Amino acid sequence: MSAFVAIENLEKVFPLNQGEYLALKGIDLTIKKGEFVSLIGHSGCGKSTLLNMISGLDFPTDGLVTLEGQRIKKPGPDRMVVFQNYSLLPWLTARENIALAVDEVMGDLPKADRDAMVQTHIDMVGLKQAAEKRPGQLSGGMKQRVAIARALALKPKLLLLDEPFGALDALTRGNLQEKLMQICEENQVTAVMVTHDVDEAVLLSDRIVMLTNGPGSKIGQILEVDIPRPRKRMEVVEHPSYYKLRSEMIYFLNQQKRVKKIRARKVEVVAKHGLEKVNLEIGFVPLTACAPLAIAKEKGFFEKYGLDEVNLVRETSWRGIVDGIAGGYIDAAQMPSGMPVWLTVGGHEDRPLPTVTSLTMSRNGNAVTLSKKLFDAGVQTAADFKKLLRETPGKSHILGMVHPSSMHNLLLRYWLAANEIDPDHDVHLETIPPAQMVVDLKAGSIDGYCVGSPWNLRAAMEGVGVTIATDLEIWQGHPGKVLGVREDWANAYPNTHVALVKALLDACRYCSDPANHLEVRKILSDRAYVGTREEYIHLGDPQELTCDLGNPIEYAHHWFYGEGSNRPSRTEHLWMMAQMARWGDVPFPRNWLEVLERVVRPTTYSIAARELGLLDEKFRRGAIELFDGSAFDAEDPISYLNSLAIKANISIAEVHLDPPRILAA
Amino acid sequence: MAPSVSRSNGISKPSAFEQWLKKNGSTILLPAIGILGFLTIWQLIAWSGVTRLPGPLSVFTDERTRTLLLYPFYDRGGLDKGLFWQTMASLVRVAQGYTIAAVVGISLGILVGLSPAIDKALDPVFQFLRMIAPLAWVPIALVTFQQPEISAIFVIFVTAVWPILINTTVGVKQIPQDYINVKQVLQLKQKTFFFKILFPSALPYIFTGLRIAIGLSWLAIIAAEIVIGGTLGIGFFIWDAYQQNYVSEIILGVVYIGAVGLILDRAVAYIQTLILPE
Repeated sequence: MSAFVAIENLEKVFPLNQGEYLALKGIDLTIKKGEFVSLIGHSGCGKSTLLNMISGLDFPTDGLVTLEGQRIKKPGPDRMVVFQNYSLLPWLTARENIALAVDEVMGDLPKADRDAMVQTHIDMVGLKQAAEKRPGQLSGGMKQRVAIARALALKPKLLLLDEPFGALDALTRGNLQEKLMQICEENQVTAVMVTHDVDEAVLLSDRIVMLTNGPGSKIGQILEVDIPRPRKRMEVVEHPSYYKLRSEMIYFLNQQKRVKKIRARKVEVVAKHGLEKVNLEIGFVPLTACAPLAIAKEKGFFEKYGLDEVNLVRETSWRGIVDGIAGGYIDAAQMPSGMPVWLTVGGHEDRPLPTVTSLTMSRNGNAVTLSKKLFDAGVQTAADFKKLLRETPGKSHILGMVHPSSMHNLLLRYWLAANEIDPDHDVHLETIPPAQMVVDLKAGSIDGYCVGSPWNLRAAMEGVGVTIATDLEIWQGHPGKVLGVREDWANAYPNTHVALVKALLDACRYCSDPANHLEVRKILSDRAYVGTREEYIHLGDPQELTCDLGNPIEYAHHWFYGEGSNRPSRTEHLWMMAQMARWGDVPFPRNWLEVLERVVRPTTYSIAARELGLLDEKFRRGAIELFDGSAFDAEDPISYLNSLAIKANISIAEVHLDPPRILAA
Repeated sequence: MAPSVSRSNGISKPSAFEQWLKKNGSTILLPAIGILGFLTIWQLIAWSGVTRLPGPLSVFTDERTRTLLLYPFYDRGGLDKGLFWQTMASLVRVAQGYTIAAVVGISLGILVGLSPAIDKALDPVFQFLRMIAPLAWVPIALVTFQQPEISAIFVIFVTAVWPILINTTVGVKQIPQDYINVKQVLQLKQKTFFFKILFPSALPYIFTGLRIAIGLSWLAIIAAEIVIGGTLGIGFFIWDAYQQNYVSEIILGVVYIGAVGLILDRAVAYIQTLILPE
């Protein structure tokens, strides 16, 4: 019963007047019996074309579509289609339209049975009063009911819906969606629906298939909708997954729109001042830690080192950074410190993407915040939290983090595990964009989070959460954000890379000077950067350790510069590599030394520092020590992993990296 | 005092005629004025002696014409019959040619509409033939059929068939994709497709063709009856009157032709509204 409908390596090319148009490419999809699948994407992405090929109204140029193992060769009533424009015959009444289909398809049944079947389906969609009217006298919603009744009356194996409610007003649409859902559930209908309505997709589907923009559209992502059935329109909205799915889809669609725009722009590489490329797109996420980028831009550090045309791209989530780097439409990015390794070993879509870091831009700046509700219930330490979890085993606690490869995730997990809380079993961790955290905490959809400032202080000042541990209490001086670029990019533009490190290192120095703090805070609070009130943003002494519970204080501990803090450290990246592997997010590479050599490039940093005249830079060497006193042995990470008590299934595997290559400009 | 009373009466209770006039004044009165003006100018020009064409009043003043006007139903045998009979004879001829044109035009139109190959092959021929004036068909018809009566019907047929054919073709070709999708998804049998989808869908186009054709075939009647010669019919009546220099009779004949043409057109339009409500 697994593959009811199977689409294999499907490709569709439309001949045009001049040349041809590749509409779909490499589509693979299987649909189970009884499943409701939605196809969503921008106009012209080929979703209707795909539906037509399942219905048999159109044929793939290459590849295969099968229903119950049989290749689809022509349209047929076993794959009934409901069209957006109803496709009723205007000279027949509603009843006659349905009867035409029933009589034709089930002609061998006695007339009385057929009539009864028509009547049943007229009643099913609630059209008793309008059965004798012609389509011209019916409203859009009623017409679509007739079309649905006509389709269902034939008892199709597969129901295909092509934007069925696209032309209806919101109220009618809502009612019909519910009706369709009810009918599908009662009759165990397998259905494929094309839609561009995000809410409709979540409400009706078991799975949502999102298509990328053409030409050569493919399946970008498939979302499983885990909302239990039977669903009600009003209740679905309250399900915790609803907004996650919805924002996932909106992110995808927006991303597609952006990619289209970027493709249309076609940036030329501008070489100047002996640099290979001076027009750079640099991605960042609104956090206090983005200060070096903001300052470099606002205070002219980029221009100072010859990078004349730098454009900062504000992403709301780390995922946007990953997509930008993977898609090659941003040159460089502020990354969570684990991301270069994570990308390199194949964290993104299981495809190793060699990524390089030559500068650690910030350290510290994180904290763990728990909701005011938990605090009021007496949770003031990790031990209290553990006790609470043990006492309420049935209740699931959701904690937010920003990205699997970010230090927030790793520190939060480390902190939980060190306190004997299994981060995968005792609590539930969820990826949420940083700026979204406070809102979710306020709404009660999460119970706490680990994120960079200003979002901890803001929760505390707004009285919705309490900072229960700062990172200073977990690992003082841990790497926060790093500068990351693709390896092929770094190889293609080595001088630009050095200039970029120089500009940012200079900006880091500027940020760390207390005399500039007022100005930095003012710049950061601007909408173009963090976009929050200035009093939420603090920069201060990075050595301050205390965390006064329930009493909002300045978590002023970003560390931007000095004492070797900016030099990328292989040991630190190895620690993060080990932690990511510990939680099963990526395999631990057997060739970890090779991976580290490729990812961490202190040489680029050294050249930049020397050219800036910073000769007193110290090395940071030696073992990493965390709050629980356990030392990390950089000589033997695999034994370290094996020695851990709380961990997920660890896999150790050779990560095959392509030989270093240069980006084809 | 008195005038004001009568005035208030007038306002409160307008006569039925006044009401009628208010309602239909512009639709009846204005066309009537137009026609009357046209006839007056024509009459004045005729009186002025610029042309030998008699004025509209000659229809009454000329004795022969007056008889024809007042006694449309007289029948003195042979060709000497009232205008009603003349018209009827022409109408029968038109009916025959038109019916054949409709049958041939619709069926050929559907065939051509359904088959792009046949369409490609025959379209240039149709486009060429339809440009030929009815009168030009006359000698061809006579040579081909050797019989005047059949030739006349052929001329009417060949005039009327093109608009029916071409419109039907367009109608069939323009069946909306939606309906074709219905056919394909339901795997409709050809017969069901023809009667439930193709024909109803093309019907408005077919009627447009039929309506244009009825006007054209009536126009061709003169040409047709001149061909036959010496037969009962309004076309030959006019031709005969011209030969004998009864100019006012020609005018009367022309009025008949115009009126009948108008009635035919309206009749088809009416049938169309009966079959295609909307």
